[in-house]
Amino acid sequence: MIGLLSIAIFLPAVLAAPTYLLGRKNAKVAKILGVGTTAIVFAISILILFVFQYGQAGFQLSESAPWAGSFGLNYKVGIDGISLPLLMIATFLSLLSAAGSSDQITFKHAEYYALFLIFETGIIGVFTSLNLILFYLFWEIVLIPMFFFIGIWGGPRRRYASLKFLIFTYSGSAVMLFGFLALYAWTGSFDYDVLVVKVPILDPKLQLVAAITTFVGFAVKLPIFPLHTWLPDAHVEAPAPVSVLLAGLLLKMGGYGLIRYNLLLFPKAVHVLWPYFTTIGLITMIYGASVALVAKDIKRMIALTSVNHMGYVLLGAFTATVAGVSGAVFQMFSHGLAVGMLFLMSGYIHDHTGTRNIDELKGLRGKMPQTVTLLFLASMAAMAVPGFANFISEYLVIQGALSVSYLFAIAIVAPALTVGYFLWMLRRVAMTPGVGPKNELRLHSILILVAFLVPLLIFGVYPPPILGSVITPTVEKWVGTIVALGAR
Amino acid sequence: MALLALTPFLSLAIFGLLATPAGFLRFRNSKLGLAPFVCILGLAVALVSTVWLGFTSSSPVSFGGLQIDLFTLFFSGVLLIVAIFVTVASLQYMRDDPNKGPFFGLLLLSTLGMIVLAASMDLILLYVGWELMSIPTYALTAFRKNDPNSNEAAMKFFVLSALSSALIVYAISLVFGITGSTALTAIASTLSTAGPDVRPFGVLAIVLFIVGFGVKMAVVPFHMWIPDAFEGAPVTIGAFLAAGAKMAAFAAAFRVFIVGISAFNVDFYSTFAIVAVVTMTVGNVAALMQKSFTRLLAYSSIAQAGYILMALATPFTTTNVPLGLAGGLFHVLNYAILKTAAFVAAAAIATKLSVRDLDSFNGLSRRMPQTSLSIAVIFLGLAGVPPLNGFFSKVMLFTGAIYSPYSWGSYLALAALINSGFSMSYYGWVIKRMYFDEPADQSRIPEPRIYMAVLWAATILIFAIGLYPDPWIRLAQSAAAALVGARGP
Repeated sequence: MIGLLSIAIFLPAVLAAPTYLLGRKNAKVAKILGVGTTAIVFAISILILFVFQYGQAGFQLSESAPWAGSFGLNYKVGIDGISLPLLMIATFLSLLSAAGSSDQITFKHAEYYALFLIFETGIIGVFTSLNLILFYLFWEIVLIPMFFFIGIWGGPRRRYASLKFLIFTYSGSAVMLFGFLALYAWTGSFDYDVLVVKVPILDPKLQLVAAITTFVGFAVKLPIFPLHTWLPDAHVEAPAPVSVLLAGLLLKMGGYGLIRYNLLLFPKAVHVLWPYFTTIGLITMIYGASVALVAKDIKRMIALTSVNHMGYVLLGAFTATVAGVSGAVFQMFSHGLAVGMLFLMSGYIHDHTGTRNIDELKGLRGKMPQTVTLLFLASMAAMAVPGFANFISEYLVIQGALSVSYLFAIAIVAPALTVGYFLWMLRRVAMTPGVGPKNELRLHSILILVAFLVPLLIFGVYPPPILGSVITPTVEKWVGTIVALGAR
Repeated sequence: MALLALTPFLSLAIFGLLATPAGFLRFRNSKLGLAPFVCILGLAVALVSTVWLGFTSSSPVSFGGLQIDLFTLFFSGVLLIVAIFVTVASLQYMRDDPNKGPFFGLLLLSTLGMIVLAASMDLILLYVGWELMSIPTYALTAFRKNDPNSNEAAMKFFVLSALSSALIVYAISLVFGITGSTALTAIASTLSTAGPDVRPFGVLAIVLFIVGFGVKMAVVPFHMWIPDAFEGAPVTIGAFLAAGAKMAAFAAAFRVFIVGISAFNVDFYSTFAIVAVVTMTVGNVAALMQKSFTRLLAYSSIAQAGYILMALATPFTTTNVPLGLAGGLFHVLNYAILKTAAFVAAAAIATKLSVRDLDSFNGLSRRMPQTSLSIAVIFLGLAGVPPLNGFFSKVMLFTGAIYSPYSWGSYLALAALINSGFSMSYYGWVIKRMYFDEPADQSRIPEPRIYMAVLWAATILIFAIGLYPDPWIRLAQSAAAALVGARGP
């Protein structure tokens, strides 16, 4: 019996082959098949929303089948309140990014959409798999299309950026795999439901080894401060729809892994490591924001906001409080949408004005008044203005951090810096007198951008549907468990 | 009926002897002659009988020192697949060579030597197999007799290889001196009770075995001949040496160390662990600096040998077949397929571009799309990206190392994983050249169908094993169990 999750995971990969074969002759067919498949997968994820039982903490829609039983490999998938929001932004952002690709990808359409669908399979698989090797498999499947996206369709420095991306993330993954294999050697299983029982009672030293090695893999993806240097290169060189995937989804893999594996599996290691990890999170937040202040390229600035905002995830997760972890999960959801919108917009602006340099974009209001309005709204979301989902998530993270230690009051510097660089950018781009003839985006591009705002505003004004009935129950249960096992 | 178990050996021997004279016969005006077809027929009969024996035979069959068990059949399956790929690719590569008869005859006889190695339970037979495998490969390496590179490669290869044979003979004589026998089971039972007075000689024999096998296994620091030989030899023979001869040397090492010497109370596992780490590190770092494709393949094969050596660094008991050993055998299968295919791709490029410089790979995906795609798949497989075959065997090997009772087990696994991550830098670099860089010459190059057939067959195998590894893992596990079981009670 094939369940909804398996259909959502494998449908894109299965349809990648016809997309490539039929799309090779006719670019339009490739676009229709590519966007159509992501739309179907999004529809399936909406269906999952109806089947999902709210307010519950365990894994749902679980499926399980032996795969290579001779070596502990089982096909196991399932979702809970932590994975559901990420699954939703995965399907939603894939749809919007595929739709937004149609005018930004100008050659090799068949290859692009086929790889896009393989990427989608990987990213959905990462958020739903409950077996370490299955998780690793999807984790690596994401990597290869991304390498080609940046290398083939990227900007002038694409070759350097793509190889740097591949080497950084693959090396990180190799170290992470060590942690996974060690867990298998110590517990005899790769299955999450078995590990969650056996790992927390392992010797704290072993937990520490596994926690640190897996942290390296997740931290490169997240990224954390000293390991982030691939990110500005990759994001800036990638075509705009791919930057949406990178910032909106690929970084979330790191955050998801940190919470699902690092935080929940190793309570005794968390007990030792949390001050270090939260401090790294804090440094990443402030560092990302400071570097974004001096960025001259608007896309680079947006890329660095990701470093800034993913720091919150690390900080929130390792406070090991309900507020902090819920905020971290919600932050991944809201940041994915906000940064996705900003990246897609930067691509449109570049296409219409020929530049991404903030100073050269002066007077954009005259050329693209509607786009500038949207840029305002997206920036407000990223600045975490109340009314947007980002406000709630960042508030929760900082609340969680403060409940652990007053020293984390220093975290307040980060949102202040964030507001600073966004307002400065807006002042230069949007608040200058408009010049030039009008050269506005087409209606369908505007609609795609507006689509990002809808969930941000809905959940910003009324978060209970996602926070109270999805994220918090799961987080409460897990945090309760790990605290009982000695995480704090 | 037991004689049927000899079919793979007899088929290779008979067809091997027939192939050379068959080279003089040809159909009407066809350039190919009969030799390649005799060769393929012999290999096909051998492979079919191997598979058939694997499914039907339950208990090992012995003919003196020659033992046909699942370990033998596993290795002969792997080596025959390599030989078939090499032969088919050589149909194209050697098309204009007048001496096809000797070429294909030597190929078959060398393959026979390899599977004798895998089957041998007696050191004398092992040595016969070793020489039967080696001597034809010298001639095959020097096959382009007017090409100075080919001759230089063969000379270098011959000298080192002869040295390794001499060391093995010396080791055998030492073992005979200690135990009074050349049969591995008898050696094991004598060594398990060996007193301290023979210990130095035993250790010396182990060192000599490691060095002797190490030359063929491409273990650092005995690897220097590999890049030169692979570059100078005909490219398809490069595949035969890298995937065939090397894996056969591993088969011999598995037999000698696990069946015979493991009974001796000497910690050779730690030695293999150190050698494994050094080998993979040197291979990976040197591969990054290469400018020629075949040399890059050579160093990558050295690195891969390091991973397989980890199987010899996992201690075991008769009751419990270690994961690392099964993983090592599984990696032998995967590596053999990947590396043969990589060399066939190199042959396709070498015949069409007549340069092996990596600069000529720039933008290759536009000029030779099928070859480029298969190189990309093969390289990702060698790097260990799931869901390709190389991933699962590496995972088994590395987990096996963590299981190890030695405290260094985890460090060995971590070193191997870091190496594996690092190796992506040169594999990814070649993919980057093929797909992202601009070609100097845009013209489309025709891709010979025979090479493409081999490459597609290999690519399908790479995906098939990777997507559904279960039967293959079981196969490797039972081969490992047969090897451990061969020690007797």
